[in-house]
Amino acid sequence: MAATPDVTDAGSRLEELVETAHRIRRAIESVIEGKSDVVRLTLTVLLAEGHLLIEDVPGVGKTMLAKALARSIDCPVRRVQFTPDLLPSDITGVSAYNQQTREFEFKPGPVFANIVVGDEINRASPKTQSALLECMEEHQVTVDGVTYQLESPFMVIATQNPIEMEGTYPLPEAQRDRFTAKIAMGYPEPAAELEMLDVHGASQPLDKLEPVATTAEVHALIQAVRAVYVSQPVKRYAIDMVAATRHSSDLRLGASPRATLHLVRSARAHAALSGRDYVIPDDLQDLAVPVLSHRLLPSMEAQGQRRHPEQVVAELVRRIPVPDAK
Amino acid sequence: MKLPVAAGLATAAVSITLYPLFNGGAWFWASLGVVLVTTAVGVVASRLATPRWLAPLAMLVAQGLYLTAGFARQEAWLSVIPTKDSVLRLGELIASGYDDIQRFAAPVPSNPGISLLTGGGVGLIAVLVDLFAVRLRRAALAGLPLLALFTVPAAVITDPIGWPAFVIAALGYVGLLVADGRERLSHWGRAVLVRRSRVGGTGTAPDTGRLALSGKRIGVTAIALAILLPALLPTLAPNPLFGFGVGNGLGPGGNNIGIPDAIAKLGGQLNQQRNATVLTYTSSDDQPRYLRIYSLDLFDGRKWTPSALRGRPEDRVSAGPLPPAPGLGPGVAVKRAETRITISEDIDQLRFLPLPYPATQVDADGDWRADRATLMVFSTRDEAAGLEYRVATGEPQPTVAQLDAAVSPPGSGRFLDLPPGLDGQVRAMAVRVTRGAATPYQKAVKLQEWFTHSGKFTYSLRTTGSGGDALSRFVLTGRSGYCEQFASAMAVMARMLGIPARVSIGYTGGTKIGKSWVVRTHDAHAWPELYFAGVGWLRFEPTPTGGAGQGTAQVPPYTVPVTPTANPTTGSSAGPSSGAGDTSDHPGGPARRNPRQLDRDFGGVPVIPDPGLPVAAKGGIGAGTLLLLALIPALLRLLFWYGRRRVLARVTAARPATVRVPAPRAPETSGELPRDVTVRAIPRDPSAYAARAVEAAWAELCDTLTDFGMPRNPSESPRAVARRLTEQYELDAEAAASIRTIASAEERLRYAPTPLDAGPVAADVRRVRRALAATVSKRRRVGAALAPRSTLLRLRALGEKALDGFDRLENIRVRTARRDDHVRELTRR
Repeated sequence: MAATPDVTDAGSRLEELVETAHRIRRAIESVIEGKSDVVRLTLTVLLAEGHLLIEDVPGVGKTMLAKALARSIDCPVRRVQFTPDLLPSDITGVSAYNQQTREFEFKPGPVFANIVVGDEINRASPKTQSALLECMEEHQVTVDGVTYQLESPFMVIATQNPIEMEGTYPLPEAQRDRFTAKIAMGYPEPAAELEMLDVHGASQPLDKLEPVATTAEVHALIQAVRAVYVSQPVKRYAIDMVAATRHSSDLRLGASPRATLHLVRSARAHAALSGRDYVIPDDLQDLAVPVLSHRLLPSMEAQGQRRHPEQVVAELVRRIPVPDAK
Repeated sequence: MKLPVAAGLATAAVSITLYPLFNGGAWFWASLGVVLVTTAVGVVASRLATPRWLAPLAMLVAQGLYLTAGFARQEAWLSVIPTKDSVLRLGELIASGYDDIQRFAAPVPSNPGISLLTGGGVGLIAVLVDLFAVRLRRAALAGLPLLALFTVPAAVITDPIGWPAFVIAALGYVGLLVADGRERLSHWGRAVLVRRSRVGGTGTAPDTGRLALSGKRIGVTAIALAILLPALLPTLAPNPLFGFGVGNGLGPGGNNIGIPDAIAKLGGQLNQQRNATVLTYTSSDDQPRYLRIYSLDLFDGRKWTPSALRGRPEDRVSAGPLPPAPGLGPGVAVKRAETRITISEDIDQLRFLPLPYPATQVDADGDWRADRATLMVFSTRDEAAGLEYRVATGEPQPTVAQLDAAVSPPGSGRFLDLPPGLDGQVRAMAVRVTRGAATPYQKAVKLQEWFTHSGKFTYSLRTTGSGGDALSRFVLTGRSGYCEQFASAMAVMARMLGIPARVSIGYTGGTKIGKSWVVRTHDAHAWPELYFAGVGWLRFEPTPTGGAGQGTAQVPPYTVPVTPTANPTTGSSAGPSSGAGDTSDHPGGPARRNPRQLDRDFGGVPVIPDPGLPVAAKGGIGAGTLLLLALIPALLRLLFWYGRRRVLARVTAARPATVRVPAPRAPETSGELPRDVTVRAIPRDPSAYAARAVEAAWAELCDTLTDFGMPRNPSESPRAVARRLTEQYELDAEAAASIRTIASAEERLRYAPTPLDAGPVAADVRRVRRALAATVSKRRRVGAALAPRSTLLRLRALGEKALDGFDRLENIRVRTARRDDHVRELTRR
């Protein structure tokens, strides 16, 4: 490796990144027991400037995860409880008439924060959902013809309850596509649950959680992640993966080009979190299921055989050969 | 292709292999016509779905009509319908054809009789093939009649069949099998593919094209192996594929010479009733000389046969004097003479030169070579017919003292060998008649004397055979025979007495007409030659000579007893007129001898020129070569490893001292490589060497895994492979570090912006291989060394590429056909 200042710089930035990320992870894990994979993925999505969809039953710590992340970064976090009567303005904010100044004054909604937790997003009407999704994609809000930029970093952590389907508006495919990754928290291991009882029984650990990183630091981390190198073969490998979902007979709908973008972006973050300044196929393999599967629709046959998109994607990944050389 | 057509094609293809049996092409067209007629009937019968038994009958009838039209048109009604006359005519032709086949050795002239016989024979085969393949649906069984046809030339001629003919014949049979497979399949359903599948057509008919492709692939591979493998292996006969001729010294095709064939030609080409001229000669001293063609030195109790001949390139007669006569010492006076011989144009297929013995130099056009042991001169390329050549001879003129002094040399065992089981009385007789003779020479003289005079032998052409029983009969009771029995008996008895002996076949000196000597078929003769150390081989003449014996036979002067101990009939056999007094019921005359009788007992031994080594050694070489061929993958594998090790060694040499790279924090638990390992830094600018070294190490690791049968999923990255191997095979820390070094270097080479900051060395590769080897069974280790799968797979990939090329040819054809279909479709609209 040529020891130009640039590279050395990149190397030290990487070390910094790993260090910071490690701090954040430890902080979150002090609240969420035994879910290191989920925490890692959450961080990955954060560094990839993406949004996370958590789908799981109530009470497994979805909101806790979001809050812990927000708390450890020392950045504003807003929580929106999605209900059927929630209006778009309840998210984006409203222009209210100020009688003193005789002007319309913009009251920013909960979306104006670094981390937005959207609880039970499928309970809101599609209209409200789409208001949030627009913010996610554009990183801006337009109210009464005025465009307001959102904070950076900006991350939406939406949760979804797969059990109660009554009176819900499940996110359509196009909207699910906006989320970089979807994860399931899953129930904790018995040991982790036991520890949780001990810790959470007495006090609320979230209260004790001190911020371990600043917004500026996270911002720098994101910049470092952008510099992670992706070789041509690896890019082609990512395209192969996405293309495979489009051609699979088990899938009715394959992944979009946006999925490719998200996959490579999060692979960069994944590599950086591993202390690497280049992406390897293993990064893509690790991320394929969480990044791709929520965008896919299984075919009728696959549904009949109870094959979930997660399984299909995992199988596809096992079948695609890793790229050989440049 | 329809099955009846494939059957016809197969028969036609195999009938091509008959070509060496004939001169001219009339037979082929006759056969082809018969096959066409048979095939046409077969196609019609298949279309009409006639009963199975009807088709062969219809074919035979059609063949009858065809052959009548072809060979007895004049006599037939409407040129086609057989009449009594036409049947008689065909019968005559068949009889004459049969006679010709009996009379001529291959290649026979392709006259109407022979063409008719061939056409009829091929027709029968065609009917059988059709019966098996089409009517009974046993295509493989149809190979039997085809094989029968194929063995005809193999049995009749000693020359190997040319490989193109073999390829055509084999392709014919393969085509038949493929057509059968397709037809069978089309009754069942879709093709089960042997190799990669492509998206198939949606037609209702099953796609049998790919099955055909598989069949052709297998067939082509088998045929290629059948041709190439024998060409690569050392052979008993010279290399049959390419006749570069330098190594084997026998010219293109590596033809064997068949003595029986040559004798048959000698006799068979000449009219049996006519005493035809074989050759004429003049000699410098105007003396008649026996002209020897073959020298037979092996006696198996039944017949005399020659040892294998060696015709080395350096023994070409054009290259100078012949090898010295075996056994002729310097002290013996030699009578030099020159003979000019002209062989008749009518002699066909004679590939040995009739020569007086011992020839010192032969001046003949063509590639004639001398066998060192016997001084027989022969060619695999040229024939003697019409040849004019000059022979210089140096006949030994030993004195009686020299002959008496000769003892049987040690090491002459081959010429003393006798089969077990010979009648002891013959031996007793040999001892009795030579009683009183002190030296081998005197014994030989007494023996000849006994045959020609005291034994009261008579000359008769009725006697047959010269084997053990015939010998006893001839010597002990019958005492009647002709040159064959006399020569054989004397040679056997001489061997019994310890005198090396052999039998020569050729001609007597013939009759003087005008200025030259004329040798005719009736002068064909066999005589014994006995060996005396210091003098060499000497001709004896036990056959009665003159009018009541072999007309032109002569008793050599040195065999006439001159010593006081000799028989009282001294000098009685000094010339052609001697031998009188023997009774004979056969008056001399031109028609009394049948020269064909000569070859009767010498049949079946092809002479293989210059076989070089004994059979055991050849077998050893063959086995060794096979072993070497089998070990080629192992050798290639070693070569690969050697090359990779060299690349790795070069990098190690160009590398500065080992440095320790400070690792950032070992980040996660998810199997990331610990960075805090000692790595060997590579010079600043990553040279091509370094990249090659990394590739070499990785390739070696992959090959090792393949060899040990440790499967590698193509979706596994280098890192994943290293992790899995370490966990699965519980590698020790050192091996684990080595495998990580190899994997991470490969990973960086593939995916990182700056590929190399560390690289593996040969020791890493070796360590990993040792560690992996320790986890597999010994059998697997030996297998990996002797038949490495990695190399075998590479070879297979190579073969598949070759077959892909073959496929491409196939695709060209298919596409054209489809375009035709399309055009047809359009025009229909």
